[in-house]
Amino acid sequence: MAVDKNMKILVVDDFLTMRRIIINLLRQLGFNNVVEAADGKQALDKVQIEPVDLIISDWNMPNMTGIEFLKHVRADESIKKIPFIMVTAEGKKENVIAAVHAGVNNYIVKPFNAATLKEKMSKVIGDF
Amino acid sequence: MSDKKSLIEEQLDALGDIKGDTVPAEQVRAFVGLVKEFFAGNFDNIDGMELDPELYGELGELAMFINTARKELSALTPGMLHGEQIPDASDQLDEIVKTTERATHKIVDSCEQLQGVNLRVRDRLEMIDPPLDPDVSASMEDALLEADTHITNIYEACNFQDLTGQRIQKIVTVLREIERQVFRMVVVFGLRDKAEALSDEDKHSLESGAELLNGPAKEGEGLEQDDIDDILAKLL
Repeated sequence: MAVDKNMKILVVDDFLTMRRIIINLLRQLGFNNVVEAADGKQALDKVQIEPVDLIISDWNMPNMTGIEFLKHVRADESIKKIPFIMVTAEGKKENVIAAVHAGVNNYIVKPFNAATLKEKMSKVIGDF
Repeated sequence: MSDKKSLIEEQLDALGDIKGDTVPAEQVRAFVGLVKEFFAGNFDNIDGMELDPELYGELGELAMFINTARKELSALTPGMLHGEQIPDASDQLDEIVKTTERATHKIVDSCEQLQGVNLRVRDRLEMIDPPLDPDVSASMEDALLEADTHITNIYEACNFQDLTGQRIQKIVTVLREIERQVFRMVVVFGLRDKAEALSDEDKHSLESGAELLNGPAKEGEGLEQDDIDDILAKLL
């Protein structure tokens, strides 16, 4: 099934610059329907009101970290099936395992490029 | 051992008993020989321990180092590090983060502008009537795609800002840990008066265990994307 490029993607990162970079890389890949949040708590509030089709989240954030956000998402029946990609500098084995146990769909380590983003997104939402 | 020591003392007394301005060379040689043998470890032991001149030399250097460190710490008030130098270093590092962040914002701004320019060029090319020669049109589209690729490369390169920010935060945390350890040394060396000059807030800050933010791993230390993919392949 072809990927709908109008799908809504939520980008979560406390660094505004990083959000802009990811959002622009997504635009370069043809995804323009993007919403953003500055931490896990803000993201959870947003996604509970208005579900999205894909979440791309940082790990290290104030208020609520990416892994806590992921656990909340997976615990909420109405949003638990949203695909979740973790994008983080935390390239440690225990972190990857913790993310998998929490229900992450894929994991991208920073710094990354558009090709890696596309490849990981394809594995989660299908080829595009 | 005490016999040998007595022997040296006897020789020293004998030298002191010599009247006049000259001492027989043979007697001096004998005394110096005794002293050399003593420090060369030729005497069996002192209280059952082997004498090691090299060890003594190192212990002497260590004693001098401790003495010098103690003097330097005496000249230092704990608040100097806590109140001025380390915060100043932390401020400088914060400034680096802010400066690179501002620069990255500008770069991203410019990239977004360039993307807008590319879009407008594409729109105008489509509006040209009669349409351009297909070869010309294709070459212009190639040029625009090339520009898009360069814009993407710039976005990718801007990843650095987040990583350097986290690394610098890690350094600031390490600086605070050093400050805490220096404070402990001040206390260990008995400079309690100066330590007590710190405010309760400062003491709490120094004594509390700083939680090290892991931050990004150094090159070669953390997992690469391929390693992570291997783990994911086994777990997912």
